[in-house]
Amino acid sequence: MIDRRSWLVAVLALVLLAVLPSAAAAQTRFVFANESPYDTMDPHAAFDVGRVAVRLNLYDGLYRWLDNPPKLEPWLAESHTVSPDGLTYTFKLRRGVKFHDGAEMTAEDLRYSAERILAMKKGAAALLATMIAPGSTKAVDRHTVQFTLTKPAAIFLAVVPEVHVVNSALLKKHEKDGDWGAAWLTSNEAGSGSYQLSRYDPAVGFIAKRFAGHFMPWGQKWIDEIEFRTVKEDNTRVLGMIKGDYQGTGGYLPNDQVKRLREAANVKIVEQESMRIKMFQINNQRPPLNDVHVRRAISYAFDYDGFNKDILGGSVERNPVPIPNNMWGVPRDVKGYTYNLDKAKAELALAKAKVDRPITIGYLQGFSQTEQAATVMANGLRKLGLDTKLTSEVWPTMVERMKKPETSPDLVVYWISTYYADPNNWIGEMFHSGQWGTFKASSFYKNPKVDELLDVALKSTDRKVREKAYQDAARIVVDEAAGIWVYNTKYFGPWAKNLEGIRFSPIGNGQEIRWVYYAK
Amino acid sequence: MRLLALALHRLAWFVPTLLGLLVLTFVISRVIPADPVALVAGETATPAQVEALRRQLGYDRPLPVQFVDYLARLARGDMGTSIFTRRPIVQDLAHRLPATIELTVVAMVVSVLAGVPLGVVSALWRNSPLDHAVRVVTVSGLAIASFWLGIMLQLLFAMRLGWTPLNGRLQGFPPEAITGFYLVDAALTGDGPAFGAALRHLALPAATLAFPALATLVRFTRAGVLDVMQSNFVLYERAMGLPRPVIVWKYTLRSALTSTVTQIGLLFGILLAGAVVTEAVFDWPGIGTYAVSSILQSDYNAVMGFTIWAGTIFIVVNLLVDVVQTLVDPRERAT
Repeated sequence: MIDRRSWLVAVLALVLLAVLPSAAAAQTRFVFANESPYDTMDPHAAFDVGRVAVRLNLYDGLYRWLDNPPKLEPWLAESHTVSPDGLTYTFKLRRGVKFHDGAEMTAEDLRYSAERILAMKKGAAALLATMIAPGSTKAVDRHTVQFTLTKPAAIFLAVVPEVHVVNSALLKKHEKDGDWGAAWLTSNEAGSGSYQLSRYDPAVGFIAKRFAGHFMPWGQKWIDEIEFRTVKEDNTRVLGMIKGDYQGTGGYLPNDQVKRLREAANVKIVEQESMRIKMFQINNQRPPLNDVHVRRAISYAFDYDGFNKDILGGSVERNPVPIPNNMWGVPRDVKGYTYNLDKAKAELALAKAKVDRPITIGYLQGFSQTEQAATVMANGLRKLGLDTKLTSEVWPTMVERMKKPETSPDLVVYWISTYYADPNNWIGEMFHSGQWGTFKASSFYKNPKVDELLDVALKSTDRKVREKAYQDAARIVVDEAAGIWVYNTKYFGPWAKNLEGIRFSPIGNGQEIRWVYYAK
Repeated sequence: MRLLALALHRLAWFVPTLLGLLVLTFVISRVIPADPVALVAGETATPAQVEALRRQLGYDRPLPVQFVDYLARLARGDMGTSIFTRRPIVQDLAHRLPATIELTVVAMVVSVLAGVPLGVVSALWRNSPLDHAVRVVTVSGLAIASFWLGIMLQLLFAMRLGWTPLNGRLQGFPPEAITGFYLVDAALTGDGPAFGAALRHLALPAATLAFPALATLVRFTRAGVLDVMQSNFVLYERAMGLPRPVIVWKYTLRSALTSTVTQIGLLFGILLAGAVVTEAVFDWPGIGTYAVSSILQSDYNAVMGFTIWAGTIFIVVNLLVDVVQTLVDPRERAT
């Protein structure tokens, strides 16, 4: 028999359970399957697309590239001014921005971050070092930071988003042997971004939780926890999306895999034109390719439509110039080369140089599409009676070969991605003779007129002046067939069907998750 | 006594063998046309910027100086840091080893428990339908590419039937590790669900690894049993009227397994050095994938560190195989 006291206790317990707050609502989670490993969490150690999720979600910069076509939006900076000589950029910072550990972000953190990038010589350092010198960045006051350029550079503002701000006090605490905290930051974070790191495993990936105190207001809905996981195989990423293990993955899958995902009931494909040109670099210094007529003949020998429409199923856009179609600076009147063997033969007949050896065509191991493109090119050249030899390397080895005219193949097929949204990212870094020795400039093209135009474009801050200069330079480069431009990539991003708010930008590829939420 | 002499003899050769391996790996990794410093400096880096970083990292020094410096640090247990991540190589290897060891042990247990009995049975019922079926399995195991097998297993068991996970060691991130071996950690903490989850995640990659290993063990066991069954002492035992199971499992098997034991050891060593393809298909965070990314990026210290691991494993495994051989085969003890 249960006594009165026990009954009272039981009733009280039931009442308490009824009035106490119920268990917290389930947190929303998002898992992204990424092809590249997250081998470092240091935002200043990498400047690639594969690990962009770390920089976009855990860190902030002065400005941020958003949407497509990409627009530069104020982020940590409220505004900026540029001195009349184009050398001094002064940024006014937002007040009250907090790092994840609660410390306030100040101009000193900006200054430290810029100096850190230059000192470590990794990531975006190579690009920034052409514009700012160590010791030249100043914290004018608590909320004003000033960059003094070594020479006028119109692309500085386009590149400044890559100065991801780190918590200088936290890093100084973990500095060891003058390493700027690098050994510590590789496995930790010191950011102010929308998400705060909670778990990291270099063999698996990272997890981050929403930082409610982020300076940018959150919408009505958001994702509480994000996980970016390394999944190397295309097939596994695709199966995982179909199974529901992942809610997002990279948008540059092979065409047949995109088709599989379109058929999945729980997946949607977000389609956007990106800024990632597929091209053949031609070694302009090596005979007989130093003859413009030989280069034009080669340009007429590639079956562009056959490759883009038949092999790639129309999933790309023909891009005949060395700037993406959707970027300003493209000369719209230039139609480029078409597949025309008669014109190719006519050009060969005009050539002073004789093509009496195999043309070497380099492609990348592990990237089957480059092998396909190389094969199509070889096929076209053989129809002209030219012998060819295909050669493949892994990416690091090919990059090394492409740095010298003596070792670079005659033709190399690969992609040029968007590091910053400015025509200089493509035509400037590919065809200015001052860039020789970088893999992008493996055309070893030299034309003083083009150099002059590119210098004007880089120096001027007048958009109209810059646009005309890039257009004129592009016309010359295309006329001289300095390279072969095949297509501009389309982004086919697989996402869970119930996700909304995805904001794709060619820089970032939609991997900034603060905008994303579950519709239901 | 003979065992001790054997062990000491092998250990005496350990250092020179490893040194030779290190010299070879060091030279090859430095002379191939891939520059990790240029990769780290970034695609937009000029030659001058790359050289500045090379000086900063100390890779501009003459190769012999770099090698001596590496050996001096190695003697202190320091394998250096990754050019890319700045993390100590020892830390990276230690982090990934449990995953590879656990996968390898499970795969070997499965292949031995299944392979040895199948080999015996196949030999005893030679040319029977059972023998033919087993031989189809062994040929398949040796012929089928492991990446294809892994993907097929994923499609069937993970996607179609939903019995197993698709990839990884656990769904999401693992709990804080005690030993790093999830089965052991789950057992130590009495966590049944975690044990089950770890086992389910192991199922497909272990099966992918075990299949070719099983095929090898079946073939060697079958050949060994067939060979021993022809010998005089077995004939004598039959003539004496000993029961067949006793002849087979007590007398024949011990003699027949010497070559199988050797194969078990060698397979174990090969798998411990990194089952690259299986780890890639199943995103298994082990040594294999670490080795591949290190090689592709020419991350010098990581490549050297992996070489030390793989070289040590092979030397130790070969020693253990010889020891076990000696214990199993009395003829070895007599010579």
